[in-house]
Amino acid sequence: MDPLILSFAVVNGLLIGGIYGGVALGLSLIFGVLRVVNFAHGSLLMLALYAAYWLQIWAGIDPYYSIIVTVPLLFGIGFMIQSVIIAPLIRRESALVVEPLSALLLTAGVYLVIDNLALMAFGPNVRSATTSFALPPVMLGQIPVNMPRLIGFGAAIVVAVGLAWWLKTTRMGRAIRAVASNRDAAALSGINVPLVYAVTFGIGASILGLFGSLLATFVPITPQVGLNFGIRSFIVVVLGGIGSLPGSIVGGLVIGVFEAIASQFVPATSAAILSLGLFVLILLVRPSGLMGKA
Amino acid sequence: MSVAPHTTSAAPAAKSKSRVLPLALFTAVLLGIPLVVKDSFFIHSCIVVLFFAYMATSWNFVCGYVGQLSIGHSMFAGAGGYATVLLFTQTGLSPWLGLPVGGLVAALLSVLVGYPTFRLKGPYFALTTIAFAEMIRIWVENTDTFLGIPLNGAAGITVPLLGQNVAAMQFNDKVPYYYIIATMLGGALLATWLLENAKLGFYLKAIRGDVDAAESLGISPSRYQLIALAISAFMTGMGGGFYAQFYRYVNAERLIGVDLSIDMALMSIIGGQGTIFGPLLGALLLAPLAEITRSHLGGSLLGLHIVVYGVILILAVLYLPKGLIDPLRRLAAKFNGRGTGR
Repeated sequence: MDPLILSFAVVNGLLIGGIYGGVALGLSLIFGVLRVVNFAHGSLLMLALYAAYWLQIWAGIDPYYSIIVTVPLLFGIGFMIQSVIIAPLIRRESALVVEPLSALLLTAGVYLVIDNLALMAFGPNVRSATTSFALPPVMLGQIPVNMPRLIGFGAAIVVAVGLAWWLKTTRMGRAIRAVASNRDAAALSGINVPLVYAVTFGIGASILGLFGSLLATFVPITPQVGLNFGIRSFIVVVLGGIGSLPGSIVGGLVIGVFEAIASQFVPATSAAILSLGLFVLILLVRPSGLMGKA
Repeated sequence: MSVAPHTTSAAPAAKSKSRVLPLALFTAVLLGIPLVVKDSFFIHSCIVVLFFAYMATSWNFVCGYVGQLSIGHSMFAGAGGYATVLLFTQTGLSPWLGLPVGGLVAALLSVLVGYPTFRLKGPYFALTTIAFAEMIRIWVENTDTFLGIPLNGAAGITVPLLGQNVAAMQFNDKVPYYYIIATMLGGALLATWLLENAKLGFYLKAIRGDVDAAESLGISPSRYQLIALAISAFMTGMGGGFYAQFYRYVNAERLIGVDLSIDMALMSIIGGQGTIFGPLLGALLLAPLAEITRSHLGGSLLGLHIVVYGVILILAVLYLPKGLIDPLRRLAAKFNGRGTGR
């Protein structure tokens, strides 16, 4: 194997992997705080991609500027999903933790509704947005680095670091961490738990709003694109350790590089099988993931 | 989740009496439909509905009673369907034998997958079953031949048309298929009834209620869960074989894809998992929706029925967590003059 081709594959794998990690951040945050496996995670990314696309078609807004709309839009959608659909379940359950399966079923229902509404509204056609910015590849030695992907990679790192800092220092961030570690104790000390849950879900979704805009120029936009990203996010989050933000990025990088290198030796489809196999293996052998608390 | 009190304290004789009449009525209607209705399109739709009822009942056999959510049951349908078709096209084995053999192949696969997986709980188990099914789907879609067996990749395999040929389970008329799947459904319901009244059923309920307590009483959770999974996979595999014979076609996306698994789970959960007739009820309500949107909207509103499924699922999880069969049961109990109203 030519070392240049291999190093090109590794660089590309790192970029894509960082993006996987960034997309998975919200899934990890929501599970860490609410103990809800959000099956609709990929569907929300799909909505964000379409939002960026239609903003360009209808209003001529460049995908990179549409962030101003997609991020608050997705925050609102996430906030509503939590407070309208999942909150009644949490109210009903008197136990400390929501029964994870019921919550999974609820979000699976949300996934079915969103994906198929999108199919009805937009049709099965593949679309893509274009940016007016000239984004030539930068050269890393002899290796060309794709600029939109590099932006996505950078955004993933910035969001992960920024989110961790925000959770650590701000009042709302501390409230979120308090609710994550003990819901009832947090409620007793005066924290508005339903609001914290809704805000957490909103933040998790708004990260997808950001990535919807950033990925719209190079990811084929279809109503089914969500499930692919959703399943990959599950793999990334389980690998990195559920609830761990750095774990999400590390898990993404591992999967990205793993698939990039594997697809140099076996067909890309077999690489997908291998990463699913890795997912199963991690769950069976080390369910806490690479960066999770054992 | 607590152990669902599945029967009231009333005497079993009274209970069975209250069930016999509606059951006999249902059976009569089921068997009578092809005698009264001659419209072949309608019969086709009925076969599809019965197929989903059968698949949901098979799913419920393990998932409903063990309390685990499998979203990978389509891998068993795929194993059964592909085995039935390949045995017929490659060795000439009649589908009448191919169906049970396909079921055995699915059962074998289920033991291999279930042995490591049943240790996982809740969402971890659910996600792992998806992962296994997706691995198999992607592999089949990208494999043309494996050890000399022509899997034919994403194109799928067509069963050669032989015309009216009873030995090859091919009929010019749809009615025989109707009676085959109705019989299979009856068998699956009977198996579930036997499960409810056999030791295995009580073991499974004990495991569902409290694994540790069950284990301390000497019930091996992994062993009995695996037995139930193997039986469920056997039935699901036979269902896959029936699907292959009915459409004379198998492909990975439809038979192993995640949609079929979700349909099976949805119908059981909405109807009432862990009960004999819940999955049947769920399928009778949901599957016609898909058929009606397909036939009357002519594909113009692709996905409409799944939107409705999703909404019903959300409402059911929030307001009827024991399924639609729960209020019906309470109603029936009232009618029988021994109100159990909780």
